[in-house]
Amino acid sequence: MKVLIIVPAYNEALNIEKTINDLNNNAKEYDYVIINDCSKDNTKEVCEKNGFNMISLPINYGLTSGIQIGMKYALENGYDIAIQFDGDGQHQAKYLKQLVKEIEENNYDIAIGSRFVTQKKPKSIRMLGSNMIQLAMKLVTGKKITDPTSGMRAFNKKAMQEFVGNPSLTPEPDTIVYMMKKKMKVKEIQVEMSEREFGESYLNAFKSIEYMLSVMFSILFIRAFTKKGGK
Amino acid sequence: MTITLRIILVICSILSFVLCIKKVKQAKLKTADSIIWVIGTVLLILMSIFSVAVEWISEKLGFMAPVNFVFLVMISFLLIEGFISNMKISILDEKVKNLNHYIALKEYREEKNEEKKGK
Repeated sequence: MKVLIIVPAYNEALNIEKTINDLNNNAKEYDYVIINDCSKDNTKEVCEKNGFNMISLPINYGLTSGIQIGMKYALENGYDIAIQFDGDGQHQAKYLKQLVKEIEENNYDIAIGSRFVTQKKPKSIRMLGSNMIQLAMKLVTGKKITDPTSGMRAFNKKAMQEFVGNPSLTPEPDTIVYMMKKKMKVKEIQVEMSEREFGESYLNAFKSIEYMLSVMFSILFIRAFTKKGGK
Repeated sequence: MTITLRIILVICSILSFVLCIKKVKQAKLKTADSIIWVIGTVLLILMSIFSVAVEWISEKLGFMAPVNFVFLVMISFLLIEGFISNMKISILDEKVKNLNHYIALKEYREEKNEEKKGK
């Protein structure tokens, strides 16, 4: 199966080289594409200098748009699996094979790289948020997702088409709920994630609250009433 | 309704009507979008002319004063208009996003083609 790794990058000039080198070293049988979301720093120049495969967006439009265009590209070019992979160096390429394996061999539709399948969740405010989302997902779908906010997700063709075809879907936990309601099979794989080295996360205190509100609202009031479809 | 309120309502609606027409002429507002505002101003004028009807309705509905009913009608009108505008923005946002994607993918393809030619 053809696999595409989508690396959304916004102001990641300091991390992108390391990320792509990691991909080239540990997942070289897969193709990758960097989605440069109109970065204000020299992400674009760094990628061009290194000859990385990159799509550059003319307007900054956020993560959702970045993943969507990556999937559009994947579908256009006949890829069977698309993996969302952070450009900030938090994700490690060595785990990608396991995600792909779950979809290829075990017929899962979505595979998520989770930090807490076998490991225990540490106690922090961040993880409290994660637990709340987990609880909401359990309520709505009846299934347990240990690391709902993980940004390392692999989608098969069916999930990709669903994602591109529905503009209200974001690369966030509520989409997983939507996909589960559509009878897609989701599998979690234990992975390790590193702390980001440079630059800052797009989630600050205020944004985190906003994020929690929108994700919880979406799971409990919108995705909970998804029309069941699929198989 | 007091005569002062009725005069204020008429003046306001005439002013906003004129502004609306002016903006359409300056092409800063589309004719189709101006209709909702024209309806709003006509509503105001109707309420000031037929103040007896307004008083009757507000009494039947149990309002303390007819002016409250006028306010309620205008607030509802603004809320609906605000919601419709919000919806239009969301649709536009989606369109701009698709355009953004289209341009980026097209540029990407062109770049790849040029690279191929170069080789």
